[in-house]
This record gives sequence, structure tokens and C-alpha cells, in this order.
Amino acid sequence: MLPRFDLYEPKTIAEACALKKEHNGRILAGGTDVVIDMHGGKEFPVIIDIKGIEELETITEDENTITFGALTRHRTIEESVFFKKYYSALWDGCSQVGSVQIRHRGTLGGNICNAVPSADSIGPLQVFDAVCTVASPEGDREVALKDFFIGPKKTILGPDEILKSITIQKLKARSGSCYIKYGRRKAMDLALCGISCMIELDENDTIVKSRWSLTTAAPTSIRNYPPEEYLTGRNIKDVDLDELGKLAVKDAKPRSSWRSSAEFRIALLDEMAKRAYQNALSRALEAKTAPPLMSEETGFNVF
Amino acid sequence: MDRKTINVTINGEQYIRNVEVYMTLAEFLREEIGLTGTKIGCNEGECGGCTVIFNGRPVNSCIVLVNEIDGGDVLTIEGMSQDELHPIQEAFLEVGAVQCGFCTPGMVMSAKAILDQNHHPSEAYIRKNMEGNICRCTGYVRIMKGIILAAERMYGKAE
Ligand SMILES: Cc1cc2nc3c(=O)[nH]c(=O)nc-3n(C[C@H](O)[C@H](O)[C@H](O)COP(=O)(O)OP(=O)(O)OC[C@H]3O[C@@H](n4cnc5c(N)ncnc54)[C@H](O)[C@@H]3O)c2cc1C
Ligand code: FES
Ligand code: FES
Repeated sequence: MLPRFDLYEPKTIAEACALKKEHNGRILAGGTDVVIDMHGGKEFPVIIDIKGIEELETITEDENTITFGALTRHRTIEESVFFKKYYSALWDGCSQVGSVQIRHRGTLGGNICNAVPSADSIGPLQVFDAVCTVASPEGDREVALKDFFIGPKKTILGPDEILKSITIQKLKARSGSCYIKYGRRKAMDLALCGISCMIELDENDTIVKSRWSLTTAAPTSIRNYPPEEYLTGRNIKDVDLDELGKLAVKDAKPRSSWRSSAEFRIALLDEMAKRAYQNALSRALEAKTAPPLMSEETGFNVF
Repeated sequence: MDRKTINVTINGEQYIRNVEVYMTLAEFLREEIGLTGTKIGCNEGECGGCTVIFNGRPVNSCIVLVNEIDGGDVLTIEGMSQDELHPIQEAFLEVGAVQCGFCTPGMVMSAKAILDQNHHPSEAYIRKNMEGNICRCTGYVRIMKGIILAAERMYGKAE
């Protein structure tokens, strides 16, 4: 049996926020972090299960953005041909979380709010300029995902706030992205380190926009500016991969832990940056037009 | 609340139970309903021994809280066969995919989830979708063979 708790099942966001504040309650989404903690003996006197709030489940889009409800499951992204083809970094991340069983349960919102440096969806979301919508009884506010964390396992969420949704910017034609995760095993392992990148080319093969982020290379997942500055405005013919690799690890401050030394993580990231760039580049060169509407590409991934 | 009345369909039968909420689906199945085919190995989402199909999806029942299954549909290993074994179980027996058998219920449920979604899975697809099930005995080769054989029997060879 788990440690005892009192359970609430709110049906609206307002109710969930009020309960969180009143009881200092622990929000429960897929539970793949929370229930593990409970099995480990951690006591949460009040659990607030938000899975009954339908509004948190939907994925919507407009002309420029796609918005994921906080309860969007990793497996939903993984099964979608649309995300694999057009928002590849996000697909690369979500499809490598834990196992199938975990991906059916684990949510984007939980991955973000759990706020560990190895979270596989956060780095990829950052390269699409993700913005979090945070709900409280006073209304919604927007916080860029890169500003959402104040330390490991710590977010900017106030006592009466929950994460409502995450919005990414739609890509243009000739854009591509990639996330590479390095784990000691192919499955069921946390990222020893990870790197994400997104590039957009103009018709002359000059990089007009680039976004990078690092996973397990700092206390939280961080945006990675040096390679962005190096690539922006540069023609793909003039990209020196060795230089790119060096810049990609310039701001990385991984720890040495029992999993691996900091030096090893840096060496890995240097190489992974080159590969991530080359993957993103080949995807960008294939993407002749901007991604279609999500509703126009409804295929299911059978790889 | 610290108790909840759960109305759930398990293996096609309806059960109504009033239970304490700090209970997992795995515990509910084993202790409340007496379906002990679902195995608890790690109790933390790692091993897959507790895999059941919940509302059409494979999940680790050790990390699903019981409140959520109210109104839902659960399939466990006991529901896989009535008078005869399910083709996946037959195939596992035939190729020798079972040694100590502790992982087998979870393996069979994950295999069922794969074949429900993909009638002609590639080896790569099977590997990727079985990644949450750990076996300490067989070395996986025969489990893989068993799933491929079951797929062929159930849905024919891929063209
Ligand atoms: C076996 C196993 C393997 C795993 N492998 C990986 C992996 O490879 N990569 C990876 O990134 N993660 C991994 N995880 C961790 C976990 O699956 C993910 O972090 C998942 O996305 C968490 O989502 P959840 O919905 O289950 O979160 P929950 O456990 O429900 O919640 C996580 C935290 O976020 C809070 N929270 C959740 N939603 C909200 C919200 N909307 N507003 C405010 N707070 C909220 C909760 O209070 C809690 O503190 C693994 C976990 C397990 C058990
Ligand atoms: S017992 Fe549930 S995954 Fe191991
Ligand atoms: S047969 Fe023993 S664990 Fe798989």
C-alpha cells in the first residue's frame, strides 16, 4: 500500500487551483513521477488528480502556433506522423521517454513540472520557442519555457497555479529539427546528456533562424545560445562542424555523477551537436513547404 | 476523500468495490479481485511484469492509482483465454518463450497491445514496443519469435 493521502478529483481548472492552494496539494497527472515517489515512501497528504479536466487534454492549432494541453501524453506525439515529420525534435524526445507503458501515462505537463535536467521533452520544446500558459484563480499568464525553472525540481509555479498548456511556434518551409539523447541503454534510461537543435534556411541555403538547447548539462534544461549565434546568418557551405561542436558545449556545465564524468558528457555533446545539426539540416532540405495543418496529416506511425 | 466506489469492467465482467484510494491498480487486481496473474516485480514502472491493458492501452498497473479505473475497462492475463489459450500464449509455449514465467503475463499483454495496433509488426517495431518488459531468463530471442509466430497465425504473413 502507498502512504495514505486524501484524494480530490476536480473537474475544472479553477477548482484544481483552489484545492492546490487550500491544501498545499500535490497535482497528479500521469503519475509516473508522483506515484514512484509515493512507492519510495514519500508522503503527500493531499493528491489532486487533474485527469478529469478535459480541457487539459486537447491539442489545438492556429495559423502560427500549436498548443498542447498539459495532459498531452508522450505516446500521443509518438504515434503521430505529423509530429514525426514536421516537429521531429519533439518526436525524437517523446518517443524515447521510458517505455511504451510509461509513454501512455506520462504527460508533457508532468515532464515539465517535475523539472529534472534529464526531461526528454523540455529541450525539444525549447527549440520551438515554447511558451507555458499558467492558470490561477486570477486568470492565465504566459511564461517562456526557458524561464519556467528556478532550479532542479523547482519551477515558477505559485501555490495556486497549475500548468495549463504549452504553445510552440509553427515552423516555416525549409526548417528541420532534431533531438539526440545519449543513454547507456537504448530503452528505459535517463539521458546522460542530450542536445536539441532547429534550423530554418532561406532559398540560398543561408540559416536565418536557429535554436539550440541542452539536456542534463545544467541544473535544468537550458537554451544554448553560442551555436545559435554562430549559425544565424551563415550559409550552410560555411559551417565548420568542429567549430560548431566546440560552441555547442561552451555553456554546458554538466555534473560528474555515478552515471558518468562531466568530461565524458562534454565529449559526447560535442559529437552529438554535429550529428544533431546534420540531421536537422537534411530534414530542412527535404521540407520544401511549410508544415500542413495538423488535421491534414493524421497518419499513425508504424515504423 | 479517502475511499471511492469503483465500478469497473475487468475481463468483460463488471465489478463494484468500495476501496481505499491509496491503492494501485495492481494491488486492486491481486488483493481485491483475486486476479494474481498480474505480477508485481519492481513496483516502480521499470520491469513491465504488472502490464495490463487499460482502456485499450498497455500500462504498468503498479503506478496507476485505483481511482482512475472507475468507469474503465481492464484486460488482464486471465482475460486472454477462455476455453483455449490465446494464439499469443500458444505461440509462446511452442517456441519456448517462457522459462521461470514471472515476466510472461506482462510480456503477453504487451504483445497483445502491439498486435492490436499493428497486425504485421517488423522486428524493430516489436523491439521498440516491448522495451518496457524485462525478462531475466530467456534472452528475449524466443519471445520475439513467439510474437512473430502469433502475428502470422492471427493475421497471415505480411505481403
Ligand atoms: C520507468 C520510468 C522511466 C522514465 N523514463 C523517462 C525518460 O526516459 N525521460 C523522461 O524525460 N522522463 C522519464 N520518466 C519520468 C516521467 O515519466 C516523465 O517525467 C513524465 O513526463 C511525467 O509526467 P506525468 O504526467 O506522469 O507526471 P506526474 O508524475 O503526474 O507529475 C510530475 C510532477 O509534475 C507536477 N504536475 C504534473 N502536471 C502538472 C500541471 N499540469 N500543473 C502543475 N503541476 C503538475 C506533479 O505535481 C509532479 O510534481 C520515467 C519514469 C519512469 C517511472
Ligand atoms: S511491477 Fe510494475 S513495472 Fe515492475
Ligand atoms: S521467463 Fe523468467 S523473467 Fe522472463
